Amino acid sequence: MVGLVPATIFFASGAARADDAGAKLFETCRACHTLDPAVKGMAGPNLSGLLRRRIAGDKEFDYSPVLRQVAVTGAVWTRERLEIFLSDPEAMFPAMWMSSKPMRDPAERKALADFLADPKSR
Amino acid sequence: MDRRQFLKCAAAAGGVLAAPALIRKSFAQSEGPFRVRYYPVEPGMGSRDVTSAPDGSIWFCGQRNGTLGTLDPRGGAYKLINLGPGAAPHGVIVGPDGAPWVTEGGQNAIARVDPKDHKVTLFKLPANRGSANLNTGVFDKTGIYWFTGQNGIYGRLDPKSREMTVWDAPRGRGPYGITRTPNGDIWYASLAGNHIAQIDRKTGNARVVEPPTPGQGARRVWSDSKGRLWVSEWNSGNVSVHDPADGSWRQWKLPGERPRAYSVYVDDKDIVWLTDFSANAIVRFDPTTEKFVSFPSDKANANVRQMDGRPGQAWGGEPGNNRLVVIETNPAA
Repeated sequence: MVGLVPATIFFASGAARADDAGAKLFETCRACHTLDPAVKGMAGPNLSGLLRRRIAGDKEFDYSPVLRQVAVTGAVWTRERLEIFLSDPEAMFPAMWMSSKPMRDPAERKALADFLADPKSR
Repeated sequence: MDRRQFLKCAAAAGGVLAAPALIRKSFAQSEGPFRVRYYPVEPGMGSRDVTSAPDGSIWFCGQRNGTLGTLDPRGGAYKLINLGPGAAPHGVIVGPDGAPWVTEGGQNAIARVDPKDHKVTLFKLPANRGSANLNTGVFDKTGIYWFTGQNGIYGRLDPKSREMTVWDAPRGRGPYGITRTPNGDIWYASLAGNHIAQIDRKTGNARVVEPPTPGQGARRVWSDSKGRLWVSEWNSGNVSVHDPADGSWRQWKLPGERPRAYSVYVDDKDIVWLTDFSANAIVRFDPTTEKFVSFPSDKANANVRQMDGRPGQAWGGEPGNNRLVVIETNPAA
């Protein structure tokens, strides 16, 4: 039991670091997006509850034509799809309205996806 | 770190690629004719912000491939200059030294490119300013470069001393387009902050001025010859104008269903050029007649994010189509 304590602390602090990294990476996104479901009227769509949500699923936002086409297919955001998207958004959805540089580092993609997938994130 | 690197524009030849411009005539009601030309550039480069060079060429940013391009409109030939590892240039203007100056977000730096040998000089933001999400720059009349960063900063760079100062923007995230008025004042627009702000060039303080439409999403701003500030409002779909002389505002909704006014540019005749993502169009607004004339792109998903120009020509980049576009006014003259 005693031996587990340090391990528990290690994993807890490790998780906190991952969360912090994702939150920090999301800072750049906050210029246009929010994770607070109550916030409306930002320059980009609200990202609350993103995972398992339909792509282009913020009903308050008028998406680009390319994303509106995807929306009619009923495709949803999965964890795998989210990380592929973050690796190069415009490669997945060419000519989307959002202009975002590719995220080349897999660790960064994972951290940001973790943060976006956590329903407690704001 | 200074770099000089030319990218091959064609798989075989390298160097310069000449692509014929696509020409389309457009007859707008009682306003035309206008001639629209398209210049294909490197596939996948995300050709976005543009500016006119003193020698008649056009500088343009390749945000997706980390390059600054130079186009010769006479034949459509272009060259790409690699700005460095991880580069993702957003905006470009020409400085008083005749060189293009770039808000190089990928390296969190301001980049100067020598117009002759294409040597790249980087002016990095202070280490404590992390990723500023650099957006747009403008020179004041004394040769100081002012810039914005969407993560909530604005700053100044003295190219002679290399001294750079960065300030936290009032109300945080959002600083986007920036402009200089004829009397030398510097103003920027805050997209997330829903305001425009004047920077006191002596103290660096920013004074917020709010447009009348709440939550309008002021994305870009451009001064006309009288010092009035024209604002493209992304959220409201309005173009608005503020006269600092009397504090007045006016606004007009762009035509069409749920317009999205992304960029604004005011030409030498004080004609206002806007881009509307919903309409996939460049939109000309005559403040005298208060009439709009729309120029839809001949391809879907143009996404023109910025315009600039010179007498008789309004230029933009179509990152969605990897082209540049120019609308010539009175081309027969």
